[in-house]
Amino acid sequence: MEIFVQQFINALALGGTYALLALGLAMVFSVLGLINFAHGELMTITGYAMFFAIAAGIPFPIAVILGIAAATLAAILMERIAFRPVRDANTATMLLTSFAVSTILHMLFQNLISARPKAIPVPDWMIGAINLGGLSIGVIQVMSITATTLLLLALTVFLRRSILGIAMRAASLDFPVTRLMGINANAVIATAFGISGLLAGVAGVLWLAQRGSVDPLMGFLPVLKAFIAVVLGGLGSLPGAVLGGFVLAFIEVSLRAFLPDDWLPFRESITLTLVIILLLVRPEGLLGRKDAVR
Amino acid sequence: MRIPGYLKATAAALLLAGTSMSTAVQADDHEIKIGYAGGFTGYLAPYDQPSLKGVQLAVDQLNAAGGILGMQIELIVKDTRTDTAQSAVAAQELVDEGVVAMIVSCDVDPAVASGVIAQAAEIPAASSCASTPTLPDAVGPYMFSNYTADNLQAAVLASYAREQGYENAYILLSRDTPYTEKLPEYFAEAFQAMGGNLVAVGEYATGQQDFSAEVTKIKGLDPQPDVIQTAAYEPDFPAFIKQLRAAGIDTPVLGSDGIDSPTTFGLGDVAEGVVFSNAGFASPGSPLEAYEVAYEAKYGEPNDTVFTATGYDLMMVIAAAIEAAGSTDGPAIRDAWDNLENVEVATGLITYKDQNRVPVRVVALNMVSGGERVHVGDYSPDPSMIPAP
Repeated sequence: MEIFVQQFINALALGGTYALLALGLAMVFSVLGLINFAHGELMTITGYAMFFAIAAGIPFPIAVILGIAAATLAAILMERIAFRPVRDANTATMLLTSFAVSTILHMLFQNLISARPKAIPVPDWMIGAINLGGLSIGVIQVMSITATTLLLLALTVFLRRSILGIAMRAASLDFPVTRLMGINANAVIATAFGISGLLAGVAGVLWLAQRGSVDPLMGFLPVLKAFIAVVLGGLGSLPGAVLGGFVLAFIEVSLRAFLPDDWLPFRESITLTLVIILLLVRPEGLLGRKDAVR
Repeated sequence: MRIPGYLKATAAALLLAGTSMSTAVQADDHEIKIGYAGGFTGYLAPYDQPSLKGVQLAVDQLNAAGGILGMQIELIVKDTRTDTAQSAVAAQELVDEGVVAMIVSCDVDPAVASGVIAQAAEIPAASSCASTPTLPDAVGPYMFSNYTADNLQAAVLASYAREQGYENAYILLSRDTPYTEKLPEYFAEAFQAMGGNLVAVGEYATGQQDFSAEVTKIKGLDPQPDVIQTAAYEPDFPAFIKQLRAAGIDTPVLGSDGIDSPTTFGLGDVAEGVVFSNAGFASPGSPLEAYEVAYEAKYGEPNDTVFTATGYDLMMVIAAAIEAAGSTDGPAIRDAWDNLENVEVATGLITYKDQNRVPVRVVALNMVSGGERVHVGDYSPDPSMIPAP
């Protein structure tokens, strides 16, 4: 029983990070119809911002804030520089643009900063664990669960209460009509990118605290997981992205925890097979709309 | 796009200068061409970029000392972008440019792609730092290894583990790369051959970050392991050891050369006491210490990875092979290379004779202590103790 609870908490913490990333992808998708494959590079930018901040002697908590701010700013710049000029082109063009942005950033990091990983020393208190009657919950796990909960609450309030938030939800349903209501398209899209950058920044800090270093290619794998989560949850659905992130994490952690040893080499293929089965049963994703355009 | 006139003129001048320069190079018979087709961008960049820096330092030193066979070395570098197809193309370009020996990428797949081209042209080639011991035979008699082979490192780690009296071992491996899969398996094989007991094998995916499930499993093992061995490196190793120590497991951990990086020394308390193998330790008065001084003089920053030194070593091995062959003829260099014994390089001595093109070189064990590297010792294991590849 204890081991079940422990693995449940493990999955919850991992799911939080996936959910933050998936939500960032989904925010942009819902207004632009674009899966931004350069999303992972926003985490890398958080990492380098933290690395340079710490190297300059700035205390860790402020470096964290600078890192998140850097990702937010980078996301807004990405939209302004790379995506706005091709906004009216078809989705394939935008998709390729996002791959181009990602590759260009990889090369810049490799050639201007370093191809080798840069260490980000994490304070010792973040490495420890809290012991609760046989359970051990890592500080980073607690932070992951807390950050996810707080951000999801804040985002829900923003999307339900503020004009811009309501406009964003409207835009995700029907952008042309939203514009006819007098909503500024640039503001909506820039905000979506800004929020996705903020979420990527927070996920980046949690990710970096685990790995202790930043390297040029670190964003690739998380964005892939987030993409699976978004598809699983239903493209275009924000709650779906969050649910998708948690479901993916639960599948991954339970397979790693409870699969017989002989089966372990196949865990990733089993994960993806389960995802495919879920999509066969619900082609529009867990919380996707039946009429969604893909 | 409109291009200002003065830019056009400059571009034309550069183009002309470029053409005349390359003809000058072709006309010069007093150059000996060595090629390096490496992954200088893409996922091998963290290894091939440092290797290249070491190779360049070696070329500088060799040229300053009169070159090889009295000829200056011209190093031709091609980026393969860590792409297997591009590795074959780059190798073919190097063959066409007339290189007499070739350095290829740090990983097995691109190294094989380049290697078969060199093999067909009868030009000896070596991977900068691929450590899979079966690599040379996968290509043919013109392919060599350079880096410390996985089974050699594993044997040293296993004998150290037995010396420490560890009875029960747990290994953590990832089947994503031959290195992360085979090294722990060689360790388990050697450890068991030396009388140890393997408790369990854990698996992870490269880049998975979250080791909570694996750590929870280790906690439930019976008997508890006395030692954990893994070839995981960044970002997996830091994530694993943090989560392992956070769960209150203080079992000693043995790593391999992949974790020889500033990140490991910046991990703080969790990495305290971790022992890892690598290609050499810069003890006072050692050739590696002299190398580090020369490196800092050339690049203006201290060397932060052993991969620069092994790149330097490889260039020195190639120079020794050509000197021993007394010619730039491919088959002659190959034969001389295959018979090299005790070549003095930055990390110590390298021998190729009777080793089937996988060199015997020293393996150093290091301990992470107080954020610093402490030398445990240099090991040259008994060949009978090294698991067969």
